[in-house]
Amino acid sequence: MRTSWLAGAVAIAVAGASAAAHAQIKIGAILSISGPAAAMGVGYKAAFDFLPAEIGGQTVEYIIRDDGTDASTAYTIAQKMISEDHVDAFIGPALTASDASVAPLANQAHVPMIAMAPYEYDPTKEPYTFNDAQPLSLMVAVVFKHMEAHGVKNVGFIGFADGWGDQVLAATKHAAADGGIKILADERYARTDTTAEAQALKLISVHPQAIMMGNSATPAALPVVALRHRGFKGPIYGNHGVVSPAFIKVGGAAVEGVIAVTSPAVVYDQLADGNVVKPVATAFMTDFTKKYGPQSVSPFAGYTYDAGLLLKNAIPVALKAGKPGTEPFRVALRDALEKTHDLVGVSGVYDMSPTDHNGQDARAASLVEVKDGAWRVIR
Amino acid sequence: MDLFVFLALLQDGITTGAIYLLLAIGLLIVFSVTRVIFVPQGDLLAFGALTAASLQSGHVPGTLWLLDGGAVVALIASLFGGWRAARHGILAWGVYPALVTAAVVGLASQQLPAVSILLAVAIVTPMGPLVWRFAFRPIADASVLALLILAMALHFVLIGIGLVVFGPEEAAAPAVTDASLDLGLLTVPGQSIAVLVCCAALVIGLRWFFEASFHGKVLRAAASHRLGARLVGIDAGATGALAFGLASLIAALAGVLIGAMTPLSYDAGFDIGLKGFVAAIMGGLVSYPLAAAGAVLVGVLESLGSFWASAYREVIVFTLLIPILVWLSLRSRSVEDRA
Amino acid sequence: MTSRRGPGKRLALVAAAAIAVVTVPMALPAFYVALLGYVGLATLVALGLVLLTGISGQTSFGQASFVGLAAYATTLLTTRADASPLVGLAAGLAVTGVIAWLLGLVTARLSGHFLALASVAWGLSFFSLFGTIPQLHGFNGIGNIPPLRLGPFSAEDLRVNLAVIWAVVAIAMVMLVNLLDSRTGRAIRTLNGARLMGESVGIDTVRLSRAVFVVAALYAGVAGFLFAHFQRFISPTPFSLSMSIDYLFMVIIGGAQSLWGAPLGAVVVVALRDLFNDWMPRITGRPGDFELLVFAVIVIVLLQRAPEGLLPLLARLRRRPRRPDAAAADVAAAVPTAPMRTATAEPGRELLALDAVSRRFGGLAANRDVSFAVHEGEIVGLIGPNGAGKTTLFNVVSGVIPPTSGRVRLFGASSAALASRRVAALGLARTFQHVRLLPDRSVLENVALGAHLSGRAGVLRAMLRLDRTEDARLLAEARTQAVRVGLDGLLDTPAGDLPLGQQRVVEIARALCLRPRLLLLDEPAAGLRRPEKQRLAALLDQLRGEGVGVLLVEHDMDFVMQLADRVVVMDFGLKIAEGSPEQTQADPAVREAYLGGLA
Repeated sequence: MRTSWLAGAVAIAVAGASAAAHAQIKIGAILSISGPAAAMGVGYKAAFDFLPAEIGGQTVEYIIRDDGTDASTAYTIAQKMISEDHVDAFIGPALTASDASVAPLANQAHVPMIAMAPYEYDPTKEPYTFNDAQPLSLMVAVVFKHMEAHGVKNVGFIGFADGWGDQVLAATKHAAADGGIKILADERYARTDTTAEAQALKLISVHPQAIMMGNSATPAALPVVALRHRGFKGPIYGNHGVVSPAFIKVGGAAVEGVIAVTSPAVVYDQLADGNVVKPVATAFMTDFTKKYGPQSVSPFAGYTYDAGLLLKNAIPVALKAGKPGTEPFRVALRDALEKTHDLVGVSGVYDMSPTDHNGQDARAASLVEVKDGAWRVIR
Repeated sequence: MDLFVFLALLQDGITTGAIYLLLAIGLLIVFSVTRVIFVPQGDLLAFGALTAASLQSGHVPGTLWLLDGGAVVALIASLFGGWRAARHGILAWGVYPALVTAAVVGLASQQLPAVSILLAVAIVTPMGPLVWRFAFRPIADASVLALLILAMALHFVLIGIGLVVFGPEEAAAPAVTDASLDLGLLTVPGQSIAVLVCCAALVIGLRWFFEASFHGKVLRAAASHRLGARLVGIDAGATGALAFGLASLIAALAGVLIGAMTPLSYDAGFDIGLKGFVAAIMGGLVSYPLAAAGAVLVGVLESLGSFWASAYREVIVFTLLIPILVWLSLRSRSVEDRA
Repeated sequence: MTSRRGPGKRLALVAAAAIAVVTVPMALPAFYVALLGYVGLATLVALGLVLLTGISGQTSFGQASFVGLAAYATTLLTTRADASPLVGLAAGLAVTGVIAWLLGLVTARLSGHFLALASVAWGLSFFSLFGTIPQLHGFNGIGNIPPLRLGPFSAEDLRVNLAVIWAVVAIAMVMLVNLLDSRTGRAIRTLNGARLMGESVGIDTVRLSRAVFVVAALYAGVAGFLFAHFQRFISPTPFSLSMSIDYLFMVIIGGAQSLWGAPLGAVVVVALRDLFNDWMPRITGRPGDFELLVFAVIVIVLLQRAPEGLLPLLARLRRRPRRPDAAAADVAAAVPTAPMRTATAEPGRELLALDAVSRRFGGLAANRDVSFAVHEGEIVGLIGPNGAGKTTLFNVVSGVIPPTSGRVRLFGASSAALASRRVAALGLARTFQHVRLLPDRSVLENVALGAHLSGRAGVLRAMLRLDRTEDARLLAEARTQAVRVGLDGLLDTPAGDLPLGQQRVVEIARALCLRPRLLLLDEPAAGLRRPEKQRLAALLDQLRGEGVGVLLVEHDMDFVMQLADRVVVMDFGLKIAEGSPEQTQADPAVREAYLGGLA
């Protein structure tokens, strides 16, 4: 630790020496770069290159750390970021479990936190928690509207045997109840499983008209392949976690026709011309894919970018109340975030209030299906 | 559950059981010769699958550079070991990697499944002897426990390397065949048949190797009594390398086979390796036929368990291990003492 | 390196530690307070693991499960049922203890790597369960766990909590030091590769293994309880197989043989990880990629270079011979030794009778129809060429292996089915052909093992230091016997440092501590010089006079013939002659066996 002391001493000396010292804004970013959620973490992380390096005349530093898909690790990282790095805000965590562990810390220390994964919370009890990822209830409801419109009366559910599966199921139950659809079965499998044949067979045995999936990324292809292989002909629906090019690549011909919902950012080039999100999403995604390739399109990069937009919008207001690194600044930042109105991001339009720290509506959801080996918007 | 479902589950279970059997064999070979419980074999399985996937998509896989790097170090080390070691080193760590590198660089863009599979196996197989040489051989005489802990640490190393080289995403290896066999009640995917065929071929091949070939007999000698083998001039380092080489060959092969049926990520191999390990334990870490039976049992149990209680599948498989271990331990009851 | 400090010194150490624990955190920034907290919790688990794996030789890859069991128990009670953390502690310990005891029933008989593998199995099972049981909220975890509370005192402040954690660690450490410095502690040390010897002095090794297993689990349980109320948030991940492996890393890196290896290893591993997580991203610019890799490589290098751990490495830098605990030595001398176990001897009374005893190992008949007897106040010599089956006979008599056929009558009752520790309890003591000692422990401690059955204090009393009087008595007895066989001056030497002949004498002293009625000696004179042999002969003669029966295997013919009352000769598993020394020396069959028919 002597090295860090030395470095710190030098830094202080230099900072003191320069007359008009730039007070840096520090943003802590806790992402899952290794572990089971790493495939999504890659997307989240890549967009950091596109976040503003300067806001309101202040330089912005993004401190990115890996929680290894573990809530406890996220917790310790957050502690360090709060007490050592004195971050002014959090972007992330990008994992529901990590959100759950970090939020109490952030709220206690009065550090605004823009969670980037679906997370259940009460804004009146956790005033410092914000979320720019579409709530599951919103996304799943859009999917179920499609089901109702197509006369589906019952579904089978298959999802991960972990928190994500649980959450999607909970949202599914709500949406199903609203639409008068019955859930006939609830099957689970582990992300690391090599096959979902058994679960597929069990689902088929109760004869549902359609299947709803509570999984994400490439392991989501497993049950689709198994279901089609075992002869299931009905529609298969997924949540927004399954929409990625990798899903199609891994699933091959079997995933043709899967219907899901996604961020507008993912299908930016297919949005209707009048869609207010289109110009913002197109601008970002064009630059993003230029740097990382066309296969890199993901909703996760969009969440990061939107978090940047939210901060860019709120920080100038907060700077009037205090200097970065101080509590008054953070409190003011929180207030400013809560007052975000009609901010157009790449994942939707944000309109926040004291009781809604997400602020998205139907403009944040695009219904898509796999057609000819790519995700196409359903009109 | 009707017959159709049961047969489908059985077929599924037998296919995964074959993979576990392959891994169990590799584990047994390594353990009997070196007393190392080679848990990271599963990680090499993932390496095999991901290397094949990488080749199939037209890229030069990062594992090739890993092989080359390791080979250079091994080559230099062997040059200090005397004339015979140097000669062997130049062949194994000089000529072979050079040929493989040339083949990969030249053929990667072809994206031919057969080529991808072969090259993937060619790249990953030498990693076994490399791991033996640099991780285990320095403490080859340590206790089984110390070696087991080293193996666990090695697992973390391989995972770390896997993440850097392959990234976190899953990928699917190319299938040997996309055809399927229609047996009336059941449709068996061609890949499953390929797995069973390869498994059988490997078992028969290994049987011949151990019974009829010179090197196989040398391995058996080293396995049955390490000290005795050394006393008659059998090189412990070489037999260890051979054993690890066989294990990584098996792992790479198993990886490309199962990688076509299930996309794997860099850390998915460990779980598979663990189940192969459960199968090996069922054979008491000494018996191949019992391990085979154990592997099929684990595969089928896993399959049936997913059907009945999918979330608790893992619990079932691993908890089952305990009574088996107790039974095994009671069978070989002896108060183990160090003299 | 269990330093035997006097009580005064120990108290001073504890006081200093307590002061440090309270004052140091005040000065540290919050993050380091948290880090030290995690180090403390890891130390607790590692302490149990040192006892379990390092000292008693039972490897466990499942300690994190016990941490998790207690953590979830207290979490559920304090968050759902609004119970006080003390209730949570009781529940956590109960759950952990019961499950550990049940697992111990199953796994205590597992040896070596089978046990390690079983621990992997339950480690994985419990981890899966933690993630799947709906009430435990899976990987989303359970938050808002209340802080530790005792009446009006709350440990909400991280620093207060840290003090509590380290106070617990200090107490836990002291309790383990006490345990290892006791009769039970000496017995525990036999579990690691000397079980046969342990059983031969009456130690119930299976039961003791189980007790140690439960203690280690309870230590992990306490850590789990503290963890839940420290972090105030739990999810299954800290209780995974990876974490169990981490704990083992800590123990191996710190040094598995000594309790101080636990905090050392914990500091190294936790600090290393934190260092990497912080600096690797700065150096490489890529967070999350290299930390695990570099950490694991360092562990591998450490395993290769310092297979004993860092502590022995450091200890070698400051060589210090172990000094006897001065106070204890006085106590040992002052307490009078208890009267001889053997009451009035009845010379001639039968102690041991073998009736057509056979023992086969597959096709090999090591003993065939062997019959003879040993009486009180008599020395019987058992001689024969190598491979005659003498040691096998010893093993049959002392209960290590049962006879294939025939009867063994010991002290008047049939003993063929008895385990060796029961036989020892009845009054049979033995030594071994290949010396079985604890080479790193002092001669006195090794000898004191023989007095195991004279004591009663168990694990709990030892940990709470309530066994001092009894222990002093045991050590005094050991000292007496050791001096009696001529080992005075060597009492504090590590037994492994002695020449082989002297080690055999240590075994004899150990056997004497058992107050045996029958003594089985397997080549006791091997490696002794003439004066030492004479001394041994005099000792055996004295024992004979006190009514002890001695069965003696020896190759030194002069020694046996001059000392023994009767001689039994064996060859190829058969008894070929029996009689007085003169008779057997003249016997042609005996001559043939030894010299191959020259005459």
